[in-house]
Amino acid sequence: MKRLVAIVEDEAALRDNYAAAFTREGYAVRAYASRAQAMQAFAARLPDLVVIDISLEEEPEGGFELCRQLRALSAELPIIFLTARDSELDAVSGLRLGADDFLTKDLSIPHLIARVNALFRRVDALRKPGTPEEILRRGALTLDVERMQAQWDGQVVLLSLTEFWIVHALARHPGHVRSRQQLMDAANVVLDDNTITSHVKRIRRKFQSIDPQFDAVQTVYGMGYRWVE
Amino acid sequence: MSLRLKLLALGLATLVLPWAGCRYAREMESALREGEQNSLQAVSQTIAASLQGRTDLLYREAPPAPEISADAQSGAAAEGADAAGAAHAARAASSAGSAAEPATPHAFFKPGAYDLRPLALTAAPLVDGYSDDWPREPDAWAYFRKDERHRFRILTGVYERMLYALLEVHDEHPVYDAPGSNTLDPATFGDRVWIGWQDASGEQHQAFLAATGPGTLTARRIEAGEYGQQSAPIEPRIRAAWQPTPDGYRIEMRLPLSLVGSGFGVLVDDRDVRGAPPVSYGTLRSDDLHTLGRLLVAAPELTSYLAQFMQPGLKLAVTTPDGRVLARTDALAQSTPLSAEAPLLARLYRRFVDRPGERRLIESDAPIYDRDHQELIGKLEVTQTADPWIRLRDHALTRMLNFTLSTSVVAVSLMFAFAAWLALRLARLRQASESALTGARLVTSFPETEARDELGAVARSFSTLLARLNEYTSYLRTLAGKLAHEIRTPLTIVRSSLDNLEAEQVPEAARTYLARARQGSERLNAILLAMGAASRVEESIGNAERVSFDLVPLLSSAVAAYRGAFPARAFAAQLPEGSLILSGAPDLIMQLLDKLIDNAVDFSPAGATITVRLRAESQAAVLEVENPGPPLPPDVERRLFESLWQSRPDGDSRPHFGLGLYIVRLIAEFHGGEAAAMSLPNGAGVRFSVRLAR
Repeated sequence: MKRLVAIVEDEAALRDNYAAAFTREGYAVRAYASRAQAMQAFAARLPDLVVIDISLEEEPEGGFELCRQLRALSAELPIIFLTARDSELDAVSGLRLGADDFLTKDLSIPHLIARVNALFRRVDALRKPGTPEEILRRGALTLDVERMQAQWDGQVVLLSLTEFWIVHALARHPGHVRSRQQLMDAANVVLDDNTITSHVKRIRRKFQSIDPQFDAVQTVYGMGYRWVE
Repeated sequence: MSLRLKLLALGLATLVLPWAGCRYAREMESALREGEQNSLQAVSQTIAASLQGRTDLLYREAPPAPEISADAQSGAAAEGADAAGAAHAARAASSAGSAAEPATPHAFFKPGAYDLRPLALTAAPLVDGYSDDWPREPDAWAYFRKDERHRFRILTGVYERMLYALLEVHDEHPVYDAPGSNTLDPATFGDRVWIGWQDASGEQHQAFLAATGPGTLTARRIEAGEYGQQSAPIEPRIRAAWQPTPDGYRIEMRLPLSLVGSGFGVLVDDRDVRGAPPVSYGTLRSDDLHTLGRLLVAAPELTSYLAQFMQPGLKLAVTTPDGRVLARTDALAQSTPLSAEAPLLARLYRRFVDRPGERRLIESDAPIYDRDHQELIGKLEVTQTADPWIRLRDHALTRMLNFTLSTSVVAVSLMFAFAAWLALRLARLRQASESALTGARLVTSFPETEARDELGAVARSFSTLLARLNEYTSYLRTLAGKLAHEIRTPLTIVRSSLDNLEAEQVPEAARTYLARARQGSERLNAILLAMGAASRVEESIGNAERVSFDLVPLLSSAVAAYRGAFPARAFAAQLPEGSLILSGAPDLIMQLLDKLIDNAVDFSPAGATITVRLRAESQAAVLEVENPGPPLPPDVERRLFESLWQSRPDGDSRPHFGLGLYIVRLIAEFHGGEAAAMSLPNGAGVRFSVRLAR
């Protein structure tokens, strides 16, 4: 049975492009132009994954509202924000509302498909017990690559997909400086330096909320970041 | 010329007030003077009218001049009483001529050849034979001569109730009387001078003066005794003194005016040898010694009559019709002198008003007529000092000048204060508009907008203008970000379509175009990122957190990274020893440095050395980036850091929106500092320096 991907996007051309790509990839696709349309359909049947644009027709923040309503319907439904906006504030708001990832529309379609695939992999992995060889341990950090889940001192750190890939890229070779470009490649995203910086900042904050002493992610000015044990 | 000076000059125009005041005071004074002239005229006419017909006062009721017939004239000439003195001779001739006419009863004031006209003396001469206490008035002398050897001159004067006479006789051999002998013995006779007068009752009297040496003389009169015997008793009422002169001798004498009536004369008996027969000449008849001429003198009462009109500052004088003073009273000096009491200020003011050579005296005269109003018997001259009026004028002038000058001073200082205030306001306005232009962000709060005057209106329209400008620039500033946002969606459509197209079966020939389309869209994307950079930096500044960090390792690692990133440039780092702790956002500092290095790389030739320098100051850390290259165009040091401003050589393919140095400024300002740029001397390149508060 094909997985059902719902796309909520008010720009018809873009919507159809994404729908065509997902169909080609073997997903069942439902596309909606507005929040009302989408909610109506979701009330009947929840899709397996939702890609949401933040501004929807008349509602500039309609995507956020839709995310909130979907989270009320299902806590596990994977949600990806796909937006022309790239402000840090939007990203923070979206991720706080429980979105699994926040992608800008700069992302190419193959990248997008890869993220969706990854997200499905994570969902699948969470449903079955993990295999030990997929676990990366660096001191207090435990990364379950299969489930795309991070733990610090045994506590789960809720990372978005992008953030997970960044942490993973850093932690795999501790002490090695990873440039921003390398991090982008690892996370399968095209971002400008600023966005990488804010991602790293957010990662630190998330770990620090569990362990205020956390400083494993170091900035190497002019070069990038590295993981320090 | 500043506004202050202009208004000051305008204020000085109020000085026309004192000037006009001076003019007014002068006019007022002339009017007063004219009025006073008129009233003085009236006074003089009144006094003259009261003296009408008072010949008793003016001339002691002197009888008319005796008829001088041709016989008498020739007789006098025969006796040697040759009328001397050109003026008198002329007068005598004319009077002789007029005497042919029927003489009017009151023609007594017509001059006779032997008349004496005493001066009205102002002080009593000392009877000592010297002339130095007499007034120097050559015209007042009366001259008589018989021939070249026999002549004398006489000066007469009246002071109070005394008649004074000064007689100067030309005599080559003065001969004294024999001293101690009988004065009636002809053998003892020397030079003698006879005095003859007619008393009030018309009777003739004589006395003679005989000198036995210089000094006091005694006058003697001849009296006939009972038996034809003559005696010469001393006449005590006459005092006289004798002194020699280089060409003769001088006799000064004094006798009471009451003694003399209307006639008076002297006769000189000149002897060359004691006891010899004399040569007699003079104004007495030589046979009976009767007077030939008159004594034209005013009654002493005239002076006291005039005195009743006196007041300080007034002078009255009664003269004969031909101008000889008969009597005068003078109280001019009793008026207080002006300069003595006037305050300094008034004296200063007076200098502005007084016309040079102006007379301080007012004069007026009036004729005095006889009883029938036919003949002129005299003249009254009234002189009054103008001092009271000048003083009055000065008083008014002082008050008015004080008032107008203080008004001027007040007006000028008010204007000056106003100008200063206005200039201050204008300066504030100018300062505000200048800082609005050059400041980091446009200023909307403007001074003086509350003021209700024109300046307030200017300030308000300025403020409105600035607000508009502000809106406009903030629109411009956000335009790039907005544009990037708006273009992103269609670009995404293009790129996603290209992505989909690649998955489709595309003929190999079309793949080239597909690749070109993708290249184009990637470039567009890069442009979009550059356009949104400033707004993203602004946003991250808004969200930035301050931490304490060490600038030195940050810079050294950054420079190492730049060496890798820009292999075509050399980098020199001049960093302080130890650490330099700064509170701020290291990420932003890195961005700032990125922009400066980008800039330095863009504007320097390949192979150039870019210097990164860090200096610690007491309050700030100064970060400098120097690169060799073309100097800055003039006057762009400030504008360099403005949004959307750029000055780049043409042909640069990378997208630039003039935001790089604007971002530098934003970050510097976030760190409480400022950014500046300058050309290095000798065209060595350009230095950008950023000051960061510690």
